[in-house]
Amino acid sequence: MPDLPGRDLARELIDKSEAESRSTPVEAVIAAVREGAVDDDKAHRLIGRLWTLERMFYYIYGGWGQGLEMNDFPPSVKYLFSKQIVDESTHEMLYLDAQLKKGFVATQKDAFRHPYGSFSVDSGLAYYVFSLRNLATYPHSIRIAALNLGPKILELGWMKGLAEAIADPDLKGVFESQAVENRSHVNMGRRIVEEFVAKPVDAELCRWACAVAKRDYGRFLGELSAFVLGHEAPAPPAPRRQVTD
Amino acid sequence: MPALKINHERCTECRMCYIVCREIDINAVYVALEPLHRIEIDMEKCTYPGCTACLMYCPAEGSIIEVESGRSLVPPPPEAWQEA
Repeated sequence: MPDLPGRDLARELIDKSEAESRSTPVEAVIAAVREGAVDDDKAHRLIGRLWTLERMFYYIYGGWGQGLEMNDFPPSVKYLFSKQIVDESTHEMLYLDAQLKKGFVATQKDAFRHPYGSFSVDSGLAYYVFSLRNLATYPHSIRIAALNLGPKILELGWMKGLAEAIADPDLKGVFESQAVENRSHVNMGRRIVEEFVAKPVDAELCRWACAVAKRDYGRFLGELSAFVLGHEAPAPPAPRRQVTD
Repeated sequence: MPALKINHERCTECRMCYIVCREIDINAVYVALEPLHRIEIDMEKCTYPGCTACLMYCPAEGSIIEVESGRSLVPPPPEAWQEA
């Protein structure tokens, strides 16, 4: 295989994210699951918040899709992105199915109305969603580096740990069955960075965007963990940042 | 009772059946918990022939079949348009 321009950068971003993947706030939830301290209400909180985040990916990817121009990337890159959109939609369906199957809610409409599944602008979840949506104005290679070689790797790590810890076959299956798709998103991110990030300025943007995405995803995971375990700890104050677009 | 199942040789996984089944709160169509995440029909929840909504929305000929007879119900046969 010819030497690809972004190979070292992709390796750097993957290694850094993998090193952080088993030290996220979700480890507290995994420990609680192992101790048998996660009852139906806590499981509903977990699935409800993750479902809410997955729903918001329609909004994030909608913005990103608008920023894909004709001929700026080969069709294969756009095909992979469309596959990622479908996968994210599948995961949203899995979380909704789980809420219905476990009897947490009676109908889809109930799931939308329930506080555990509602979207609030004043939340770590919203902060992360708007942070990702903000990347719509950056080249596709940079935002894919940010998400697929950042939060996606953290997610792969904690989700594997959570799937191993959960005994309930329905909930275990929800997390376990996502692994193939999540791993393919990481591989897609690696491929895009390796092939399309060649200039030093773009490499720096990838490092910056990846760090921002992971920081904001970490804020969401902190909020999620506190919410699931009933600690209700407020998220740390948001850092001041300039709006550039 | 007659029942429906997905014919994965023909199904395009477009998810129209899932969407309509959720929308009318029957919730019989679900995503299987396996890596392929194929669409399936829960026979315990499906109310066919009382409800035939998924048959009306499915765009892929032959992708929903009657379990007992094995016959395709997409496009829906004339009796599917009548009240059960």
